Order: sequence, then C-alpha cells, then structure tokens
Amino acid sequence: MKTTSWLTLYKMLIRTSIRSRMQYKFNFVMASVLAALIQISEFLMVALVLHKFGAIKGWSLHEIGYLFAIMTLSKTLYRTFGNEVHHLEKYLVGGELDQLLTRPMPVLLALLPQNFRIMAGEVLQGGFILCWSLAGMMHSGQIGWTVIPFSLLVILTGAIILFSIGLATATLGFWTTRIEELQTITEDAARTAAQYPLTLYPKWMSGILLTVIPVGFVNYVPSLYLLRGELGAWVLGAIIVVAVLSLAASLRFWKFGLTKYQSTGS
Amino acid sequence: MLYFTLASKAYSRNLQYRGAHMVHNLASAMFGYMYACLWIGIGADHSLGEYGTQGMVSYIAFTQSSLWISGFLTNGLGIPLTVRTGQIALDLMRPVHLFTHLMAREWGQISYQFVYKSIPIYLLFSIVFSLQWPSEASTLLFAAIGLAGASYLSICMNYIIGATAMWTTESSWLHWGNHAMMNLLAGFFIPLEWLPDWLERIAWLSPYPFLLYVPTRIYLGYENGSLLWGTLIWCVLMTFVCLAITQVLRRKVEVQGG
Repeated sequence: MKTTSWLTLYKMLIRTSIRSRMQYKFNFVMASVLAALIQISEFLMVALVLHKFGAIKGWSLHEIGYLFAIMTLSKTLYRTFGNEVHHLEKYLVGGELDQLLTRPMPVLLALLPQNFRIMAGEVLQGGFILCWSLAGMMHSGQIGWTVIPFSLLVILTGAIILFSIGLATATLGFWTTRIEELQTITEDAARTAAQYPLTLYPKWMSGILLTVIPVGFVNYVPSLYLLRGELGAWVLGAIIVVAVLSLAASLRFWKFGLTKYQSTGS
Repeated sequence: MLYFTLASKAYSRNLQYRGAHMVHNLASAMFGYMYACLWIGIGADHSLGEYGTQGMVSYIAFTQSSLWISGFLTNGLGIPLTVRTGQIALDLMRPVHLFTHLMAREWGQISYQFVYKSIPIYLLFSIVFSLQWPSEASTLLFAAIGLAGASYLSICMNYIIGATAMWTTESSWLHWGNHAMMNLLAGFFIPLEWLPDWLERIAWLSPYPFLLYVPTRIYLGYENGSLLWGTLIWCVLMTFVCLAITQVLRRKVEVQGG
C-alpha cells in the first residue's frame, strides 16, 4: 500500500472514533469544562506561591506559566493522537492486541485511531495560560512576537518527544505486561518535574531529565533561548534533532518489542 | 468481627501487589522530592517564615507521605463501579449497613497504604533530607489522632462522591474535583497561612485543612492538639451526612448495568 492510502485509512479510522465519542455531547462538554478547571487548579498551586514569594531561582510567574503551558499543550497533542499507546497495558492484559496484529496494516496504525481523544479542557487550560504568559512577557518587552510561531514549533516537537517516551515505556510492557507503575515515573513524574526550571533540581536529576527521559527538551531548553536569550538559535535545531532521534529510537524499540510479544489473553 | 474481617481481607488482597506498589512508591517519592526541591529553590532567596527551608522540606515530606492515608482512597469507595455492574443492589440488600460495610473495607486499604506506602516513603525522605523526628510522645499521639480523623473524613467524602454515582455517570469528575480542592485548600503544597486572605478563610470553612494541614502542623510541633476539636466536629457532621445519604440511596436504587 502507498503512503497516501495509509493516510486515507488513518483519517477514516479517526473520523469513526470521533463520531462514536460525540454520541454523548453533554458529557463531552461537561468533562471538558471540568478538566480545564481541575488543570488550572494545579497551576494555581504554584501561582499562589509565586504570588507570595516572587520569582523562583530568577524565573518569573510568566516564565513558569510558559513552561507549564507548553508542557500541557505538548502532552495534549500527544494524547490526542497517541492515547492508546499510553493505555497499551489494557491491550496486553486483555489480549486485545491479538486482534490488531491480524489486521493487514502496521500495528501502531491500527492501535492509534482506536480512541482518538479530543481534549478540549486541556487545550483551554494550556491555551489560556500560554496566551496569558506570552501577553505578560510581551507587555514588559521581554519577548517579541516571533516567539509565537516558535512556540507552536516547540509544542509540536514536544509532543513528538513525549510520544516517544510514552511509546518506549509502553514497549517495555511486551516483557513486563504491567506498565502503569512505570508510566507514573517516566511520563507523569518526569513531565511534572519539567514544568519547573530544571535548575531547581540537583545535577543528577536534571541530567536524567535531559538524557534518559528527555522531557527537558520539551519546554525548558527551548525556553532558555526563546524567553531569556540564553544559549543561541541553534537550540531550535537541537530540539528538532532530539525529537526526530527519540522518535526513530522508540519506533525501532517498538518493532523489536513486538517480536517478543506473547499473548496473555484468551 | 465482621468489620474486622472485611478490613483484613482488603489489607491482604493488596499484599499481592507489593512489588508494583514499591515502584509506585518510588514515583510518589519523586513527586515529593520535586516539591521539596521547589521549596529549597524558593528558600534560597527568601526566608520561609517560622518554617525555614528545612521546616518546609519536613512539611512537604509529611504531607506527601500522608496523602496515602487521607488523599488517595478508593475512588468513591468503589460505589461507582458497583452501580455500573449492578452489584450495588445486592450490596444494599445485605444485612450490613452500606456505609459501615464500605468503610470497614476502606480501613483495611488505608492500613495497607499506611504500612506499605506512607511509612517507606517517609523513611526514604528521612534519610534523603535528614529529617528530625518529634521528641515528645504526646506530639506523636496527637498527630496520629489527627491522621486517623483525616482518614475518616476522607472516607466520608469519598462515600458522598461515590453515592452521587446513583444519579450521574460523571461522579469521577467529583473525584478529580476533590483532588483539586485538596491541592489548593488542604495545605498540601502551601501552608494555609500563605494563601491569599480570602482563600484561607474559605479553606477554614471546609473540612480540607483537617485532611493534611492540621496533622502536619501538629506533627511538626507548630500546634498543640486543640485543632483536633475541628477534626472531631467535621467527623460528626460528615457521619450524619453519610447516614442521611444512605437513607435516600435505599429508597432510590438505579443500576446502569447488570
């Protein structure tokens, strides 16, 4: 099959997935609004501290808001398309992966559109905090408008990096079956850590967050250049390289993992 | 005796997953470590009131460990799931009161989490941050009472959230809303006195400070036991609400599946 045919098929599968989700419109709206409110409460926790003490290690509320928003939006983009990678455990334990293996298409292509997730709440929350922090920094003359298109690039590369981390963690499930506990470390804890400037952490920890689990490249490293003029424009190239390398490595690992798959279901 | 059996069964069921829970403990400890690093970062440029940097690290270590007995309880005490499967109808028919039945089971869960989650995480923090332990037995006793009250309050809150599953399929949002409130109003990350004045007042009108802030303050020696009266009042109030809700529940049983 040609690439264009794969794309058409992918689009069709996503459309079906959206249609099934939209059967419960009221639930969707209510869930989105509540999700946004709950997510904002998490940011409020830090905002209250910054309100009382001012900057944290020289990082202002607007700058931390930017780190926070980029991470939220990158995660949202990853989970919108790759939610099922995050929930692979269910397929491994229940044996549902067997069905996908028999389809005449790559397993990932069959897996991803299973549950296309529209995360309006997270987009609302992330978008709101991003606009607010960008407006604040532009108003004070800290940044120019060019940061806006670059931020979109950062969100995209961030999503690819987060997807790669998620895929690599999920792949470990081919050996361990259970991955939820591990995901709490590689996805949730790592992502939460990178919502704050990495200089807060001891060297060994920021080192891990830049190499083993490269969440630092999702928001922190690009922010150093975009918001504070540190490092240099090469940073933008570097995050693209990191995204491509992580994706390639995790895809290879996934393919290798698939060969080790043993069905546990009936 | 029946309640004890229910609790011990819930406890021993969890023992099967000790390995996985230890990995989870590592993640939970990482979260606490991260929050402590944040306060160490803030403490580098600011004085942190009566706590000081070391005091705030101790504060975070205690709240993060306590979360496992006053925050992370079974979602809605498992009621939403039983409503979905239809099991709730059978549960209501049992010759045991639904509230006390589910509560006994949850106490087993909490005991397990205390032994296998709170204590290991706190011990780890004690080593990493060289934390000081309270020197007086009365401090430990009052903190333990505060924590037990916090667990009870949390059981009641989860029961109420779970009961709403009888009327809505969206009760899991209340569960997350409850977590969000805990973040803001229970003093999980920020001691309540540092909240804006209006928010602090709202917090004290709710039961949330008694879930984490009060036991932590007592444990760290900043308060005597007098705040425990507040815990007691909320426990009594919540018990009445839970009993009243059960009355309504019994009259209107609606199951989603079966």
